Amino acid sequence: MKSMQTKIAAAAATIFLASGGAASAECGEVTITEMDWASSAVVTAVAKFLMEEGYGCDVTTFPSSTNPAITSVAETGTPDILTELWVNTAPGYPELRDAGSINPLTSVLSDGGEEGWWIPQYLADAHPELTTLEGVLANAELLGGRFHNCPDGWACRIVNDNLAEAVDLEGAGFEIFNHGSGETLATSIAAAYESEEPWIGYYWAPTSILGQYPMVMVDMGDFDADVHACNTDPDCAEPAVSPYPVADVLTVVTTTFADREPDVAELMTNISFTNAQMGALLAWQEEENASAEEAAVHFLTTYSDVWAAWLNDEARENLSALIQ
Amino acid sequence: MAFYDGLFDSLGLREWCDTSEAGGPMTMEQLLAQSRGEDADAAGSELLPFPSLDNLHASCGEVPPTRDLTSGVEQLFLDVKDGLKIVLDPLTQPLSWMLDGALFLFTTLPWWLIIPLLIWLTWYVSRSRGVTAFVAITFLFLSFIDHYEAAIQTLAIIFVCTGLCVALGVPIGILMSKNNTLQRIIIPILDLLQTLPSFVYLIPLIFLFSVTESKLYGIAIILYAIVPVIRLTDLGIRLVDKDVIEAANAFGMTARQKLFGVEIPLALPNIMAGVNQTIMMSLAMVVIASLVSAPGLGVLVLRGIRNLELGVGLIAGLGIVLLAVVLDRASKAALARVNLAHDNR
Repeated sequence: MKSMQTKIAAAAATIFLASGGAASAECGEVTITEMDWASSAVVTAVAKFLMEEGYGCDVTTFPSSTNPAITSVAETGTPDILTELWVNTAPGYPELRDAGSINPLTSVLSDGGEEGWWIPQYLADAHPELTTLEGVLANAELLGGRFHNCPDGWACRIVNDNLAEAVDLEGAGFEIFNHGSGETLATSIAAAYESEEPWIGYYWAPTSILGQYPMVMVDMGDFDADVHACNTDPDCAEPAVSPYPVADVLTVVTTTFADREPDVAELMTNISFTNAQMGALLAWQEEENASAEEAAVHFLTTYSDVWAAWLNDEARENLSALIQ
Repeated sequence: MAFYDGLFDSLGLREWCDTSEAGGPMTMEQLLAQSRGEDADAAGSELLPFPSLDNLHASCGEVPPTRDLTSGVEQLFLDVKDGLKIVLDPLTQPLSWMLDGALFLFTTLPWWLIIPLLIWLTWYVSRSRGVTAFVAITFLFLSFIDHYEAAIQTLAIIFVCTGLCVALGVPIGILMSKNNTLQRIIIPILDLLQTLPSFVYLIPLIFLFSVTESKLYGIAIILYAIVPVIRLTDLGIRLVDKDVIEAANAFGMTARQKLFGVEIPLALPNIMAGVNQTIMMSLAMVVIASLVSAPGLGVLVLRGIRNLELGVGLIAGLGIVLLAVVLDRASKAALARVNLAHDNR
């Protein structure tokens, strides 16, 4: 049995995995991204296990994030699989798709990503009026008078800046605080929750943060595609109010890979989580203080009915020991 | 069975071990073994596994796994956090005020006041036509390409932080030079501050203080940049010629007279070299400080990295380099004047 050293990002240590034991030898080397956020790491770990054990692939994970991964595909044609690609944050994506060099397979988060302005659950319980935009604007003092904005360089930063201008957030008594990184944004939520302080700002789901700290999205009315399109432009002439659309979160493979490994591409097409599944998984991970890999194991052992349906017959045969 | 079972059995600890179950989430190795229908422990076993906490835990439930160690450290920190916060929060509050004040002052004063002021300041400290002209060109260039505000924010942060570094670092250096025990204690701390990856001390800082406070990045910059000024002050005073001290003693100078009249003036070239290094190092922290919400050129560099906007990143990076060269040349010119004054004495 050959041994392959695999680097798993950040949390997990370097471990030794034996690969390709029982499975057929058709599948060759596969490279897959592991984006630098929690849900992506779980998706990657699950996909890696299924590909290695079910299809006999030799899988290498690439720690990456959205834009470097897209650029890498555009320039070098690797990695083969990009998973959990938030299309709205990947400006290079439409171009690559239209050029035919990548192939969107499926929405890996079937409900799509939810973005928006959130307030903590306890605040919504105490002051139900804060769950609408009008209520927020009228009650700056109940919300601590501070809006937690995205870091510079995130797509949401432009939208938030336009929304803030449209509703005159500063005029309503809010100080707009621009965070320097996603980490401080997340920490501010955790800190607010710890002492039940008011908090309002941008975040997105499914994330381990929102799995762990229940938040309520502020209602901004009905989605208006034209208004939102203008809001995504830093030079938008007349910003107006529109909530964020449900974000497409895709699994994408390179076209060459889809031709080379049609079976694996089919598997990746089937791998898809609902927000409730992913939220529960991430909350479990946070609670158990577990690594992404252990969360993947938890998923694989607990929800075999879900992932068994993703496999083809041969792979189901290979993994029969785990399918209950 | 796990490798170290025999060890615990022979020590007669089996009963103690089994009081708590070997638990924790299933690992990938165990799952792989299960899927291949192998014995979980046999699959992972080597000839002689290192007796690490995790391996011992597999044999004996009472031995905590390494996971408990890290969560224990976390718990310990969270427990002392509130106490630390009561002490450190008010103590560091002036730093927030100074940073906010400096940022407010630098960004609200109009450019036609700030730029001439900076040029005059350079002339005052350096008395060098070349350096002054260079500073003028740099700031006019940065303003011309619309990076004036970011550059001036960065400069405000650097001024406050290096000012505090000098105000704190020089006295600490003097104390160190007078007391060998103190020197032995402080030098390892300085080594630690200099080698510790900046992110490592950002983590406890984020927990300790509200992330929206500007002192967060202030402390991160000061901790990193204060080291050279302390080191070189200590060194400078220790290097003062023993004969000169003897002469000062012969004149019957008091300790205070010796310090201010002899030692500090003679150590000044070294201290100034330390100040120069401190300025450079605080500039090196600008990008990392932007991760904890410091405004300025670092934000633009981060945006360049995040969105792969190569141009934005490179221009902002160039701005930081220009600021570094300006500050370096100005402080070096000031250093040269100090040295010249020495030689003429």
